Amino acid sequence: MSALETLETLIDRPESLGAAERPAGLGRAGLLGYFAGALGLFMFLRLESAVPPGALSFLAVFAFLLAANFFFAGVIHLFMDLTGAAAGPGGAARLFLAFGCSDFLATLLVPLGFLDKADFFSGALGFFVFVLALIYARVRLVRRLYPVSNNKALLAVWLPYAGLAAVFFSGLVYGIIWLVWLIV
Amino acid sequence: MDEQNSSGAPAPAEQPKPQPAPAPAPAKPGTKVWLKALAALYAISLFAAFSLVMKADSAKKTPSKDVDISKFKGIGQSKKKGVGLVEIYGVISQGSSARSWDRGSQQIAKKIRAMAAEKDVKAVVLDINSPGGSVGAVQEIYSAVRRAKAETKKPFIARFGEVSASGGYYVASACDLVVAHPGSITGSIGVIFSVSNFEGLMKKVGFRSEAIKSGKFKDMGSPTREMTPEERRLLQAMIDDSYDQFVTAVAEGRKMPMEKVKALADGRIYTGRQAADAGLVDKLGDLQEAVDAAGELAGLGKNPRVIRDSAPLEQLMSLMDSRLSFGFGAVANAAAAAPSLEYRWYGR
Repeated sequence: MSALETLETLIDRPESLGAAERPAGLGRAGLLGYFAGALGLFMFLRLESAVPPGALSFLAVFAFLLAANFFFAGVIHLFMDLTGAAAGPGGAARLFLAFGCSDFLATLLVPLGFLDKADFFSGALGFFVFVLALIYARVRLVRRLYPVSNNKALLAVWLPYAGLAAVFFSGLVYGIIWLVWLIV
Repeated sequence: MDEQNSSGAPAPAEQPKPQPAPAPAPAKPGTKVWLKALAALYAISLFAAFSLVMKADSAKKTPSKDVDISKFKGIGQSKKKGVGLVEIYGVISQGSSARSWDRGSQQIAKKIRAMAAEKDVKAVVLDINSPGGSVGAVQEIYSAVRRAKAETKKPFIARFGEVSASGGYYVASACDLVVAHPGSITGSIGVIFSVSNFEGLMKKVGFRSEAIKSGKFKDMGSPTREMTPEERRLLQAMIDDSYDQFVTAVAEGRKMPMEKVKALADGRIYTGRQAADAGLVDKLGDLQEAVDAAGELAGLGKNPRVIRDSAPLEQLMSLMDSRLSFGFGAVANAAAAAPSLEYRWYGR
């Protein structure tokens, strides 16, 4: 089954994602989604001159995307497990691959970046819309895999971001206290 | 019997045939078409973006006339080369510490050297908004500019804000181009040595100060007694020498005869426009015009990239330092005020 057919199945019959048996071709489609998403994101960032050129630069973006999503899928599954919502067929691996399919949305960034450079559209706004669409898609996917409400799915999707933000701000507060101590 | 038995017994009900599992609903035919169309669009936009980025990269390496990517803002511009901007704000004095976020003359001189040494900085703009300061501190910055210019051959441009008088102008005189607002206050070419005399006040409150000294001039400039004519002569000689250094610096920097500079250097202040008429300023304009002029002198064209001098951490430290001192720094400075030789204008 080609990745396109898998995507078609997931769009037309999303309940198949939560079936006992993993949808055929999900692994291939998920990884291809990460690759296409990373390529879209990379081209968008290149158009905005935010990343250096070259294959290594692309590989860094790709690796970052894979690592971040691997971490996010793990944290979300852990959250579901801790709150008793992981009894269904959903697993961290399937969630990771499903997130890969949602990353196909990042391909939209390429035309958005193009429109931004041609002064038809704001790149920042385009990126914001992409992030909103991605979160919406991920909430839907989480709900297909785990028997949870919309709010809980949204909380689960936001949780890793919130965790990272909390760690960042803790570091910042510690840094400021350290600077104050250094000066005083 | 068997037959009988079998005939008497009721016939077993026919087993229902197992129903086949319900077939999954067939995929909507439209989805595949949409997905294919989106994939094709993605491929096309990817190809276009890739070609554009490649063209921009190659144009950066070898500028060619047949590659026109000017419609796409920002892609063709080099993200690296630019004009360095160093801010010189407030009274110029030797820093009270060696902390890198202090804004003393050592730190400003260091920033100027570092900025000029940057490979991507093709010209340096000094954004001056200062009434000058102590002679030594001003000359430290001045010599840093002169040395950086000689070593790197990069153009230096001075831009005047609200005030750039006395020591502020001394620093600017080392630059290749001086840009000022028509209303900027500048000039005040001269030296000052101010001494307060609290003798009368101290007598009134019954306070007496005595100095035990190794030489008769050791407490020269003391606020507790009247200055002697001999001391006045000595100080005047110092002032004259510092004044001569100032005039020489302006004459060399502005390529003006000494006599003409001396005629302008009686301590008076000028507006930017008056200074331009007198030849002390080259161009009237704002910071953007100074940056544009720097870009043109450096061959980068108008509106070049501006590279700031301050590191974010140092800015943060400087901000915290000033906030955490709760104004005690200013009080301490005022309390420690002592006579000093200054290229400074005392107006606001």
